[in-house]
Amino acid sequence: MAAGSDSPKLVELRGVTKAYGPMSPRPQVVLEHINLAVRQHEFVSIVGPSGCGKSTLLRIMMGLAKPEDGEVFYHDHKLTGVCEAMSMVFQTFALFPWLNVVENVELGLEGKPFPKEEKRKRSLDAIRVIGLEGYEEAYPRELSGGMKQRVGLARAMVSEPEILLMDEPFSALDPLTSTHLREEVLHLWADPALPPEAVVMVTHNVEEAVYMSDRIVVLTSRPGTIAREVPIEIPRPRDPRSPEIYRLVDEITGMIV
Amino acid sequence: MTIPQAQVGNVIGLLEVLQDFKGKVDLAKVADELMLELDDILPAVESAKLLHLLQVDSGDLILTEDGKALLAKNASGRKRMLNKTLAGSGEFKAILDFIRNDHGGEVSKDEMKDFLRENMPDLDAEQTFLWIVEWGRYSLLLRYDTDNGKIKLSKAATQKE
Repeated sequence: MAAGSDSPKLVELRGVTKAYGPMSPRPQVVLEHINLAVRQHEFVSIVGPSGCGKSTLLRIMMGLAKPEDGEVFYHDHKLTGVCEAMSMVFQTFALFPWLNVVENVELGLEGKPFPKEEKRKRSLDAIRVIGLEGYEEAYPRELSGGMKQRVGLARAMVSEPEILLMDEPFSALDPLTSTHLREEVLHLWADPALPPEAVVMVTHNVEEAVYMSDRIVVLTSRPGTIAREVPIEIPRPRDPRSPEIYRLVDEITGMIV
Repeated sequence: MTIPQAQVGNVIGLLEVLQDFKGKVDLAKVADELMLELDDILPAVESAKLLHLLQVDSGDLILTEDGKALLAKNASGRKRMLNKTLAGSGEFKAILDFIRNDHGGEVSKDEMKDFLRENMPDLDAEQTFLWIVEWGRYSLLLRYDTDNGKIKLSKAATQKE
């Protein structure tokens, strides 16, 4: 369900610049003049050398960090706080060890105006969709990395986000587990009945980005600027060993190193 | 031995890698591609084999019809399929019977470990307990609550009576 250029823009960064220590004599500019729009039905990956500000860009998009210059627009309205229609999946899962699976997932509904029973029901639904059924009462310490990240995904999905942001979601997992979880995420993405309307993923793994995305945004090293945007027009489901994928992986890797 | 001794995600991940190689590939090549040691993959290979999801033939891993069927299903379908396989196979079935018959559907972790020591003395009881919980939870056969240390048959398992 790749997006056409006429699909509506869900979120857009206009002229975003981010610096650390902006008041100091030598501020560190991490992102410089980023213009980037994410459209409906689009899976966008952001790749680039380490330290290029990929994760910072995601945080600015969601409103968790403020840019020094430039603006974020959500459905053409200027974003002033944290955007409620987005949720984030973190590399290190960010689970609460003293809460079990269903309680961790329910945190994704914190602040939503649902009664307790409704929150539980929605959480159990998300758990089922993400393949965590049977693990409801398990604590994070009992779970493998792959299952922990499923909890992270369920917590992000339970609020039915319009835009799902994922920050290196598979890079803390062993290779077999990450293969499995990538497939599961693509299954969910292919199901039109499920949110989200768009996914933005930060990754350092170019193969993963090419395999999963409709478009790849390549950032330069610090300060991060957009070097190239590469549409990936290979029909889905994709064969990760196809020559087209290899060619694109080589091409994009060449832009980064 | 019919208790899988690998994480569920590793076993299904291995099948997915196999599918990427059109259902048949040399084990050493898989290890090489994933930058893993053979020892890191073997538990997943053994587990997939005893669940009839793959075959090993002179160094090649071959996806079975069951393996292909599993990959074609969604998360719930996979759980249902492994639920049937595990509930009907050797040691796992014996464990379900032990909980069902002797203890009315619920045992403590210590009781389960005693059972394992008595009946499967070659296995490390603590580690095996954890694999039983891993696969029991995934397949919806068992529930385990660490708050009270009780492992019990889930509704999905008891309804089959």
